[in-house]
Amino acid sequence: MLWTGSFHSRDGTMNVFGSKELKEDVIDRGLCIGCGACIGICPYFETHKGKTAILFPCTLEQGRCFAYCPMVEVDLEALTQLWFGRSYDASPLGPYSAIRTAKAGPKANAGDFQSGGTVSALMDFALRRGTIDAAILTDKDGILPVPRLVTDPKDVYACAGSKYTSAPTLSELNRAIESGRRNLGLVVTPCQAMAVAQLKSNPLNESNFTDPVALVVGLFCTWSLNFRTFEPYLSGIVPIDSIKRIDIPPPPAEVLEIYTDDGKLEVPLAEVREKVADGCGYCPDMTAEFSDLSVGVFEGQTDLNTMIIRTDAGAELVAEAERDGYLILGDMPRENLDHLTGAAANKKKKALSRNREEGLLDATKDERPTFRLNDDIIEGLQGGGS
Amino acid sequence: MGAARLARDPYNLIITGVGGQGNVMASRVLGNMMVKDGYHVTIGETFGASQRGGSVMSHLRISKEGSWSPQIPRGQADFIIALEPSEALRLLSVFGNPRVRVLSNTRPIHSVAVIAGDAKYPSMNEIQSSIQELSADAWFVAATDEAVKMGNPIYGNIIILGALAGTGAFPMDRESFKTVISETFPEDRVDANVRAYDLGMEMVSRSEKAHDGVTLG
Amino acid sequence: MSDLYGGKEGTTHLVMGNEAIARGALEAGISVATGYPGTPSSEVIERLAEVAGEAGIYTEWSVNEKVALEVAAAASFAELRAIAVMKQNGVNVAADFILHLVLSGTRGGLVLVSCEDPGYLSSQNEGDSRTFARLNEIPLLEPGDFQEAKDMTKWGLELSEQIGNLVLLRSVTRMSHASGDITFGPVPGERAQARFRHEGAMLDPEGGPMLALGLRHREVQEKLKKAVALFEDSPFNTYEGPEEPELLLITSSACSLYSREAIAVLGVQDRVGLLKMGTTWPLPPELMKKNLSRCDRILVVEEVLPFLEDNVKILAAEMAPEIGIKHFYGKKSGHIPSTGELNPDLVVAALGDLMDLSYEPVPAEFREQADALVANKAPPRGLTFCPGCPHRASFWSIHNALELDGRKGFMCGDVGCYTLAILPTGFSTLRTAHSMGSGSGLASGFAKLKQFGMDQPVLAACGDSTFFHAAIPALINAVHHEADFTLVLLDNSGTAMTGFQPHPGLPISAMSDNAPAVDMEAICRSLGARVEVCDPFDLTRTRETLNDLMDDERGAKVLILRQECALSPERKASKPYEMRVDTASCVGEDCGCNRLCTRIFGCPGLVWDEAAKAARIDEVICVGCGVCADICPHEAILKEEI
Repeated sequence: MLWTGSFHSRDGTMNVFGSKELKEDVIDRGLCIGCGACIGICPYFETHKGKTAILFPCTLEQGRCFAYCPMVEVDLEALTQLWFGRSYDASPLGPYSAIRTAKAGPKANAGDFQSGGTVSALMDFALRRGTIDAAILTDKDGILPVPRLVTDPKDVYACAGSKYTSAPTLSELNRAIESGRRNLGLVVTPCQAMAVAQLKSNPLNESNFTDPVALVVGLFCTWSLNFRTFEPYLSGIVPIDSIKRIDIPPPPAEVLEIYTDDGKLEVPLAEVREKVADGCGYCPDMTAEFSDLSVGVFEGQTDLNTMIIRTDAGAELVAEAERDGYLILGDMPRENLDHLTGAAANKKKKALSRNREEGLLDATKDERPTFRLNDDIIEGLQGGGS
Repeated sequence: MGAARLARDPYNLIITGVGGQGNVMASRVLGNMMVKDGYHVTIGETFGASQRGGSVMSHLRISKEGSWSPQIPRGQADFIIALEPSEALRLLSVFGNPRVRVLSNTRPIHSVAVIAGDAKYPSMNEIQSSIQELSADAWFVAATDEAVKMGNPIYGNIIILGALAGTGAFPMDRESFKTVISETFPEDRVDANVRAYDLGMEMVSRSEKAHDGVTLG
Repeated sequence: MSDLYGGKEGTTHLVMGNEAIARGALEAGISVATGYPGTPSSEVIERLAEVAGEAGIYTEWSVNEKVALEVAAAASFAELRAIAVMKQNGVNVAADFILHLVLSGTRGGLVLVSCEDPGYLSSQNEGDSRTFARLNEIPLLEPGDFQEAKDMTKWGLELSEQIGNLVLLRSVTRMSHASGDITFGPVPGERAQARFRHEGAMLDPEGGPMLALGLRHREVQEKLKKAVALFEDSPFNTYEGPEEPELLLITSSACSLYSREAIAVLGVQDRVGLLKMGTTWPLPPELMKKNLSRCDRILVVEEVLPFLEDNVKILAAEMAPEIGIKHFYGKKSGHIPSTGELNPDLVVAALGDLMDLSYEPVPAEFREQADALVANKAPPRGLTFCPGCPHRASFWSIHNALELDGRKGFMCGDVGCYTLAILPTGFSTLRTAHSMGSGSGLASGFAKLKQFGMDQPVLAACGDSTFFHAAIPALINAVHHEADFTLVLLDNSGTAMTGFQPHPGLPISAMSDNAPAVDMEAICRSLGARVEVCDPFDLTRTRETLNDLMDDERGAKVLILRQECALSPERKASKPYEMRVDTASCVGEDCGCNRLCTRIFGCPGLVWDEAAKAARIDEVICVGCGVCADICPHEAILKEEI
């Protein structure tokens, strides 16, 4: 994938720099959450036990690593225009056409789902239907999440289950693109979805660019844990090898559950929150706004999911999946919707305010902001409400 | 062979190249040839770490009178023999003078700085024209290329010795060469070395020269 | 050289300084020669080993310089003549034994040959071990040319026997590695018989035990006085020039050649007197008095420290009532640089200043032309690992493992080819570099700092030869003190940097092709350390093993990276792969590669073709190890088995 050189900005606001700026703006500031967007493109970025490393310096002034990174120069305004044909208004849940409840239908494998099994069922269906030729998911090795490319629908289910530490899933996307794969489907977190949105926008203006991603399924996410601090914390409680499963039950439990052969242990969620990746505090997106559809828990019922349908492609896929028995949809109760909206609004306001206070939204001539938004949105953060 | 044949006393030659090119072997062979012909020879060399990609230099002082410093003073080289062309440039700025003669191989060896893109390797045109401007006489021979055809690039250093003999600017006796080679190498390698020497002599008569004629003695 | 032993008396030969020393030892009838490889000393033992059979001598590459001197001393105690050979750093390793040896004294002649490296042309540092002679009160000899290198080695052995103590002979790179024509002397036919007489009384020098006792200190000083008396008439101290020169230049060693040439260049042979000293500790006072009386201005020219200068000044101060007050020039006055090696030009500059003469080596017109045309045009040629060197692959993996680990871990190094890993050729991986085995000692120390908050992973590197020389005690220290670090033992089957000499880990020694090889891996395991073995050319496995070792907090661990040196006879004889670059697949300067192979990996066999905008194999330099194919991110470098 050879790029031909200079960047032509869409409306003059999205700027692309290189790995040197990526290191200064994101890694050295502690904002990297290990999404993997910069990994798998070139030999310089690598990941090890959840942490992104730069092996050697790259001297290029512009690179895809910087362009894709969701923690620097993310032009929310331009991306929203590109995806949804409208302005970024910082609405809590982002653009959508419908919000439903969902769970795996009879055709999907019965299995050990974390909650409703919606995502696994949907990816299984998308592969069978040919909407996508390969799915990029997240499997695990012990408690370490590991990106995985899946082409056989049956293998989707091995990747089911929430991962609480960030996974460099996008590294597998980059590798797939590099090896010539197209028509890819992804299950990604909100930050990863933002990175993918940037990738799909052809930020380096490559002349022979074709969009390799056919389907983006987002996951709701409030925060993600830093593996490098979380793993030692856990190993101080039980031997890592003995852990079968980890779960965070819905409020008001305020605990993290650790399942071993000997049973279940609980630790206070407050202790676990100390291991949240620093970068998560700067992320305004709880529901993966830059996706075809996004899925999360349904409060109060562990065998059900909340699904936000956003694009026409997403709506079409969901309708067919329901028709063919892979999904069972329901109506979203008002109360749940309000709770969801409130939680999303909270995260967004806190994050954008923090960005603004730390000067990370400044976009004067020489500065590289985390996010680019219209001025009225930024001003709106000074007062109350979102 | 006698003192009359040396243009100056001591006659100062520098053989330069990159570690691993057979610089030391060439200077040793040449030195032994001159000792057989009755001269006093002092050779100064750097090796060891230099082999790891660095420049190497052998300073040869040929004299009827006695021992000299193993390092030639600034501006006192009579003949610079470069197994690697850019090394000739490096030496000319320190040891060159209006009377110096230069014999150079034509094949570049890129240093890691050049390979990494941190330094530029001058073009062969630039190297040749700079050498020609600064020297009294200059010869360029594709010694490594011919050595590769002979089966091993290491013969390049012997071809260069033959080329040096071919310039006629410095008294070298082919019989002394053959004697030294038979004392230095096993029997089955002697023929190849003699052929390399003869090839070098022949190549010089074909190569470019800066000025007409060759000053002898 | 084949006629090192067989060469007849009176014949002329072109020899290296080290070969001259070897010949001098043979002419003195030595029976034993020991050493540890160290540039610029190694050729002395190499050449003696080559002729050991026909000469009937024993040569040994000892495990380190201390043991080398002990082995040579044993020969001396048994009434044989012997030499121990090392570079300046090695004298420091042998220092503890030297301190004691001079107290017991010697019997058969024993000379310690120290070949030093002013200007650190082939070393990390430049040292000056002449002070060891003063420190230990033994005679010091410095040959001033190649003939003297031979003659003084022989005389040094005779002197040692006369006084019954060790003699230090000091050479430098520009003597040891330079060559000149010399005339051989005769080699004795008789072989001495070994016999250690020890049954006599405790202090009987000829037949008693050899004990280093403090109460023998005065004996040492008496022996030295005997040597000084012999120095007064030594032919190795010479004077050339007018009876009463304007300036007296005092010098020794290779500097005498530079000085003589500098005097000739300036044409001041009738104004400057040259006193060349070959016996430089102690300085013979009568000879010095005679020469110091010649004039009032004295320039001392030497490398590296102002040893001669200081000692001359002390004598001059003592003799001042008789010789008058002198003006001294040299390192202290700034006329001679205080560091680095010398050359004729530096001496010309000093002389020119003191004699008020200016000197232009070339006409200004030529100098300006040269500056314009060629100065700075030749690109810098820095040191790099050889093509196919296993260290390049090892440090690639080590560097990447440390970056992936992400805790700012580091590696401590020591002496060998792998010391180059302080440079980009080894990805600047080594963060400390000191003496033999010191990396392991430092690492053992760093690894005990956890209680003070140190959470950085600690690695150390040592070579196979260095392991035996000095690293074993440090590793034992680490195991016993539960120091959590990983020693990476770079086993390339030889002492590579100094010319590929054998060491105890190989079935080869100076005298045998079938020697017992000491098993490094077994030693490490027997210490109770966790030991892993990898081929450094297997980049993935090496890197993964390193990360695993860095996560393992159970004390000292060893990773042996075993792959033969590219300069070993076995590897030189074979080329495993034919390499080429597929230009169409090469991403080169673009995003996705940015010239990883030529910009970072840096093997001299892989160059950048600016016209094709792609990497290219230099088939003359490439040895076909295949590692570059494994680092290329786009599989554009192809390897085909030969």
